[in-house]
Amino acid sequence: MNLHHGAPALSVAGLRKAYGGTRAVDGIDLVVGPGEVVALLGPNGAGKSTTIDMIVGLVRPDAGQIAVFGASPREAVRSGVIGVMPQEGALLDDVTVGETVTLIASLHRTPPPVEEALRRAGVADLADRRAARLSGGQRQRVRFAMALVSGPDLLVLDEPTAAMDVTARREFWRSMHAFTGTGRTVLFSTHYLEEAEAYADRVVLMNAGRIVADGPVPAVMAEVSGRTVTAVVPGARAEDLGTLPGVTAVHVREGRAELRCVDSDLVVRELLARHPDARDVEVGALGLEDAFLRLTGTPAGTPAGTLTGTPIEAPAEATETAR
Amino acid sequence: MTGYLAFEIRRTLRDAKFLLFAVALPVGLYLLMADRFADRGAPASYVMGGVAAFGAMKAALDTGARTAVERDIGWQRQLRLTPLSGGGYLLAKGSVAMVVALPPVAGVSLVAALAGGVHLSPGGWVSAVLGVWAGTVPFALLGLLIGQLATARNLQAYQGAVVLLLSFVGGLFIPVSTFPRALATVARVLPSYWLAQVGHATTLGGDTWRAALVLTSYALVLGAAVAVRYRHGTAQA
Repeated sequence: MNLHHGAPALSVAGLRKAYGGTRAVDGIDLVVGPGEVVALLGPNGAGKSTTIDMIVGLVRPDAGQIAVFGASPREAVRSGVIGVMPQEGALLDDVTVGETVTLIASLHRTPPPVEEALRRAGVADLADRRAARLSGGQRQRVRFAMALVSGPDLLVLDEPTAAMDVTARREFWRSMHAFTGTGRTVLFSTHYLEEAEAYADRVVLMNAGRIVADGPVPAVMAEVSGRTVTAVVPGARAEDLGTLPGVTAVHVREGRAELRCVDSDLVVRELLARHPDARDVEVGALGLEDAFLRLTGTPAGTPAGTLTGTPIEAPAEATETAR
Repeated sequence: MTGYLAFEIRRTLRDAKFLLFAVALPVGLYLLMADRFADRGAPASYVMGGVAAFGAMKAALDTGARTAVERDIGWQRQLRLTPLSGGGYLLAKGSVAMVVALPPVAGVSLVAALAGGVHLSPGGWVSAVLGVWAGTVPFALLGLLIGQLATARNLQAYQGAVVLLLSFVGGLFIPVSTFPRALATVARVLPSYWLAQVGHATTLGGDTWRAALVLTSYALVLGAAVAVRYRHGTAQA
């Protein structure tokens, strides 16, 4: 039920919002095509929540345009083409899950079926339970059902798994997968790198109110951080390896040389040509966290790889987004 | 809007404790005070008017003010992501406050008729009950306004002060005719004084038209304040 056929699911241009002296969102342009699953990634205070609040019509932008399937955010909410799971937003403790989702459905002009949303969100068996007696993960899934109930073409989720433990998170993404499998568009914000890598087609990296990288996960990583070639190279010194064409940095760890580069094919060829006894060659992409650290200028004091699955620390100069 | 209103009414009717308390408090007060001021020109019917006004006013105020809790937990934010408009939400909440305001008036009147020795014609009863009930509209709106200004934490303090001021200074319990002159002047500014006038009018006579005019003015001003405050609140949020 697209409002305007052929319009992008989401189109944002020149978006700005300041709170007092803080530029929470400082000029954002973003187009999301139908069917894309996009992760909005960034540290706390990057402006993710403010951006999402404007996209869903909760906050009025200082400047810029937003169109959801060609319509204004409020029109999109009213017609049910956009489903939203806000970061804060609670359930009434005295009301059951079934009643809550039924209420949200009844607010639409043609009330959509409730059972399907409950089932998709995995809370059908909780329909008679009052919200006061739900776990944190269950509450989030109920709120997911509320976002799903209108059968939206664009789903916007603001840090959907922030309050969940590992098991709940995995279960949540399983329900999400079922939804995106039907060709719907999803925009979700997260500060979990592994979620962006695992569930998104495309990553939009934000820092200090701006988009600092935007593209498919592998492309973003290649663009900003390149690749690594690691190998055991008997007899070679780090200085020798550093002279290989295309190599930007060399680290030697536990007898293995790690070569950073952009074109790993070239480096592998040259490596084997000059050092025929090189063995255990591995080519890998740098983790998204490395890309992130480089882009946001956070001091790279943390060893690579240890950040996966843990929230990124906000850069010292970034301030918490006001709401 | 009707879907939301039905939901809210169901929710309220399920809260038996709140409803029971809303009726029991003014009824209890009536039974305590019915004969207290008889020798000072306040017969049982006078007490009935004041206490019924108190019950309706408190129920409406409390219901409206509870929206502060819903705002704090983020329920209002959640609703703004649905087709329900801000006006629809406020209208539903105000309507629920009015639904809750009726049982206390009816309860006090019933007890007064059965046990309290107040005698009115059937038409007199209808206008006594409906008059006070209709006059509660500004208090439902005042409750909504408090709900938008207070937080869940300081709500009780706000609410207690407002109810105390309106009921005692407004003369719902003690006849204003016994007040010192300055206090009596303050009383006449309060909407609760005029609501009590409506309550007393059927038995003692009184300027119902003037009371209706004052209460309507209050309703318009408070209604505008609620609308402005809500729009301001959503723009900021």
